[in-house]
Amino acid sequence: MSRWHYFFKRVLLSIPVLFLVMTLIFVILRLGPLDPVASLLGPEASGAQAEQIRESLGLNEPLWQQYLDFMWGLITLDLGQSWAVYSGRNVIDLVYIFAPRTIWLGFWAVLLPLFIGIPLGFYAGLNPNSWGDYVASFGGIVWLAMPNFWLAIMVLAVLRQTQGGGFLGFDWYTFGPEVNSLIGTPPLDFAGATDWTTLWLLSVPTGGFYFDFGTLAVAIKVILPAAIVLGSASMATELRIGRTAILETKNSNYVETAKAKGLSGRVIVWKHVFRNALIPLVPIITNEALLLLGGSVIVEVIFGINGLGRLFFLAAVQGDLPLAGSLIFIFTLITISLNIIQDLLYTLLDPRVGYD
Amino acid sequence: MSYDEHDDETFRERIDANPRPALIWIVGLIVLLAVELGRIVDGIIALGGAIRFALSGIAAGPSWIGDNVAGTLGSAVGTGAMILTALLLLAIAGSLVKTIFVPGSPLKRLGYDIDQTKQTIDLLDRLFLTAILAVIALLAITSPFSGVLESGINGLTRGLESVSSLPTITGRETISNEGHRTPGGGWEGTFLGLSPAWAWALRVLVVYAYAFVALAWLWKGYTIFREHYREADWTPRDDSINRFRNHYWGIFGLIIVFMFVVMAIWAPALGPVDAEHNLYSPYEHEFEYLDDDTVVSTTHGTANLQSQSQGGESTIGLMSYDDFDRWAPFGTNQDGKDLFTFLVFGARTSLVIGVTAIGLATAIALAMSLITAYYKGLVDTLTIITSDTIISIPAFLLVLLLSVIFQQANHPIADVYNGGLLLALIFAGIYWPGLWRSIRGPSLQVAEQEWVDAAKSYGQTPAMTMRKHMAPYIATYIMIYASLLLGGVIIATAALSFLGLGINPPTPEWGRMVSDGRSYVSTTSWHIATIPGIMIVFVVTGFNALGDGIRDAMDPESDTGTSDAGAAASGGGG
Repeated sequence: MSRWHYFFKRVLLSIPVLFLVMTLIFVILRLGPLDPVASLLGPEASGAQAEQIRESLGLNEPLWQQYLDFMWGLITLDLGQSWAVYSGRNVIDLVYIFAPRTIWLGFWAVLLPLFIGIPLGFYAGLNPNSWGDYVASFGGIVWLAMPNFWLAIMVLAVLRQTQGGGFLGFDWYTFGPEVNSLIGTPPLDFAGATDWTTLWLLSVPTGGFYFDFGTLAVAIKVILPAAIVLGSASMATELRIGRTAILETKNSNYVETAKAKGLSGRVIVWKHVFRNALIPLVPIITNEALLLLGGSVIVEVIFGINGLGRLFFLAAVQGDLPLAGSLIFIFTLITISLNIIQDLLYTLLDPRVGYD
Repeated sequence: MSYDEHDDETFRERIDANPRPALIWIVGLIVLLAVELGRIVDGIIALGGAIRFALSGIAAGPSWIGDNVAGTLGSAVGTGAMILTALLLLAIAGSLVKTIFVPGSPLKRLGYDIDQTKQTIDLLDRLFLTAILAVIALLAITSPFSGVLESGINGLTRGLESVSSLPTITGRETISNEGHRTPGGGWEGTFLGLSPAWAWALRVLVVYAYAFVALAWLWKGYTIFREHYREADWTPRDDSINRFRNHYWGIFGLIIVFMFVVMAIWAPALGPVDAEHNLYSPYEHEFEYLDDDTVVSTTHGTANLQSQSQGGESTIGLMSYDDFDRWAPFGTNQDGKDLFTFLVFGARTSLVIGVTAIGLATAIALAMSLITAYYKGLVDTLTIITSDTIISIPAFLLVLLLSVIFQQANHPIADVYNGGLLLALIFAGIYWPGLWRSIRGPSLQVAEQEWVDAAKSYGQTPAMTMRKHMAPYIATYIMIYASLLLGGVIIATAALSFLGLGINPPTPEWGRMVSDGRSYVSTTSWHIATIPGIMIVFVVTGFNALGDGIRDAMDPESDTGTSDAGAAASGGGG
């Protein structure tokens, strides 16, 4: 079976998977132990009002009709309205408002570990069994085992201590752009356009572009601690994989050959070792992006970032079933597309992958 | 060795030929068990209770399904569904009883000589056992037999309870640290008049010494068996064990995990105060302390109010006594309750949930991997789609949503163990696909082996082939991932409890400790949130290291770590 055949098989398989996910969400929300009316009105709901809500939610229709309506709603991204958290707002509008903050957080949470974890791992791999290696490896292991929620609290506590010049010798509040609070939603209006025109269905900016470096700096500074916490596990994994990748590559035949040719150490490391060691890191990075989806709930709740994760948490705790269900559906859509992208990358990058 | 020529000897005969090492070991074991008899019997009673609870839950299944079906399709169909479910459960139980407890064919042993194929005989055997079970179940439901059964169980429990009150070497009464200062300057009521701090430290030392001696004795038993009584001089597993013994990282993990397990099992003995007195019902239990040269008594609840750690000067920090001369090795929490006691019982909660969840998930994954590797084809594809479905939903979000839905609906299952059982079941349901995925490759490889083909061509039944010729190999693989995943479950449970969703009060849980102490992290009461976090880091690192160790011990080729790096439990899950 060729690589592309395998890839298309994976893509085809994702269709029943998506279908089953939607069914599963329906089963959890409509057939689960929690009665939607009870979660709206409280457990003792009864009488005319309950009946009215039951009617308006379509709960009196036969189950298969409810199922079809529900599935059609998800497929057309008509996700209904929020009940409790932002009562009466369309779910899809909420997603448009909240998603950029989560994307901003996720972007930095993927980027930071890349620039810390991989160099550290490569350093440890190039100097195996040195003290630097031990410190980096052991630090990575402990860093990996740290629960995000605890790490977040500790990071916040340490940064709070720096107010007015603490024991660390610098004040995080005034370091770089000044901020008043460690937690909160980052301001994302640092770039944009004022004039918009509608082209078919899309809005297209036509002029009045602006870019504010001050706001950008604040947005980065506010997101940094949260991104480090959210990316902590990825950083440790990348360190570990980077180290083994370098170790393996270093002992491979082509590096031996390069040595025998009399190439300098620097050329060997940059041209032969690094480039090949990067290959196994590709799937790791896409996998990390998936982990971040789950982790964003905790980090956004603790750091007070009004993103999708926090929205999901509020929706779940307040029994806002349509909002929570839709968010899960969106997260799952992202997961499945990321998986397909990962397979595509695999197929394109690594000619050795052959499955049967 | 001398017994090599007698390969046909049974284990029993080999022991008879050279009984000395076995006898020495058994005497040691009896001594070890005898000094802790009370606690062991306690454990047996608790286990019996749990089994009884699980059985009654399963037994309630048919009528529950019947009721649900009757609600939508009418009572006649409901009754039918109930009977069907009951029969199905009985059939499963019959098959289980046959595979586990009844070797060979029971029908043949009763003298029936059936001239049929092996499969038919197997089926008939199962039907026979199911029928027997059905008769027993009917008898157990109908009085007066059920009354007799009930009183029999109660009598047994009472008998065991009288044994369980025997003093044990690690008991709170044996080395007591609960006493009060005397006006003369000494201590009264504590072990040998030691200060509560030293008495407590001694008890902790005894608990861990006992646990490590017991572990060493079990290891000794294995080496005695290996040296004197095992038929083969060498098995492949010996190599794995030797590799593990030289794997310091794995040994480190094993020790951490073992200490964690001991902490969970001996939680009542390790706490400086009794959990029931200090944590659960503090206003119903009194203790004595010295107040201005007079010994007065007060309730734990009243005393706790003045031992609260909420920042400032009054904090009861690490390694200190409170104003009532109660020893608090890890200080007190924001309610004045003893943090160490809370911590050890929290370890118990984490372990129970982790082991239940991973045990169930492993069982499902193992069974599925055997079936899919053996039959392949459609079963395999369907399982792939199912597992992909569950995997592609972000696990933490799904766990969160499910636990909220069950808790808000006040489902009876959410009350068991303050939500612990619910969490364990959710974790099992969500984590088995990942486990199954991890071992799919190895199990497909095993299914291709010649010995599996040989077993098939011998006419071995599929169930037997899977159990005897495939399961042992797959089971060792699954242990690696189970160990790594256990850390993940501990983190996820803590994270949910931190959000106020997982384990409800009063059951102690580490994540809730962190949440409670969150606002005091930058004050003098920093210990409340810090210590449980450090404990989680230790335990999860331990499980990760143990998993690494097992992997390298089983398969030295695979120590590159690239293939399953994503499997290590990480804080990313919460």
